[in-house]
Amino acid sequence: MRGSRPLALALVVLAVVFAAVAIFYFTQKTSFLAGGLPAMHWKHGILFAALAVLSLIAANFARPKSVRI
Amino acid sequence: MLSAGVIFFLAALQGLTELFPVSSLGHAVVVPPLVGLNFRETDPAFVPVLTLLHLGTAAALIILYRQDWARIISGFFRAAKNGRIDDPDQRMAMMLVVGTVPTGVIGLLLQNPLKSLFGDPRAASVFLIVNGGILFTAEMFRRRDERRRKATSTAVLAHEVGDPQYAQIEGLSLRTALFVGAFQAGALLPGISRSGITMAAGLFAGLRHEEAARFSFLLATPIILAAGLLEVPSLSSDAPTALVSAAAAVLSGIVAYASARFLLRYLRLGRLDPFAYYCAALGVAGLIFIH
Repeated sequence: MRGSRPLALALVVLAVVFAAVAIFYFTQKTSFLAGGLPAMHWKHGILFAALAVLSLIAANFARPKSVRI
Repeated sequence: MLSAGVIFFLAALQGLTELFPVSSLGHAVVVPPLVGLNFRETDPAFVPVLTLLHLGTAAALIILYRQDWARIISGFFRAAKNGRIDDPDQRMAMMLVVGTVPTGVIGLLLQNPLKSLFGDPRAASVFLIVNGGILFTAEMFRRRDERRRKATSTAVLAHEVGDPQYAQIEGLSLRTALFVGAFQAGALLPGISRSGITMAAGLFAGLRHEEAARFSFLLATPIILAAGLLEVPSLSSDAPTALVSAAAAVLSGIVAYASARFLLRYLRLGRLDPFAYYCAALGVAGLIFIH
């Protein structure tokens, strides 16, 4: 598969967004995307942290690779 | 409060039904009122206990596929590091990641509305009937496809052990793995079976029966394990229930292991139809007898 630098960059940006959302869930009481009363939703934090890691892995897949000879 | 007897009953039921394509969650919601067990599914401990029991099932699956998992985990880290897929283990690892993400996201974001369905045995009965319909439809299409292939090829009998007309998991594309994994999200509804819906999707994707079951079990393991681990803290304030649940999880795991071995052997030549009829019958019984 040929790499795509813009796609890799977009995935890194997505990873940063997911990481920010994860930090938000770990540190703030909220009901955003969770329902109920505002509370610490650490499970949501773990989910978004995992999505951040997976986005970085996807970015590594998407980046152009140097050709080995 | 859930008694120890109820928790052990749920453990045996969960272990028996989690890997069969008949919905363990649907059984946990529908069977107790049908047999007159005195507890409410709306009990705050119900969902945490049930998900803790899943740890037993996840352990059984990990033991059953321990060699596969060792290769898959190693393959995941190598593929993630190199940014490319070089061998079948890395491919399998990435297929499982791609197939697991949709259910993880949907399950966590919709957990509150979904939990409200756990207290409704009649809704679970309806979903059990739907589950039976899904299994029956998957087999109907597979039979039609086998007849079509038989008509064009006399060399191979369809639905034989090792039937080369249908694929192995390693032959799936990442897009197909995403398709099968996305179906898994349907199992968040009580009455829709995780293994049933992924096996049905696997059949639609062209897998052999036992390969569809194998992929279903591999795909289920991370989600079942994560759901169980994430619910452990919910029982931290109720030590007696947590201890009984831990012991019950062992029972659940033993029963699940035996069920998985049986199902894999059965699906070498068997089909999903008996499970379809059973789900439909249980769903109808739930609608008639639970008020």
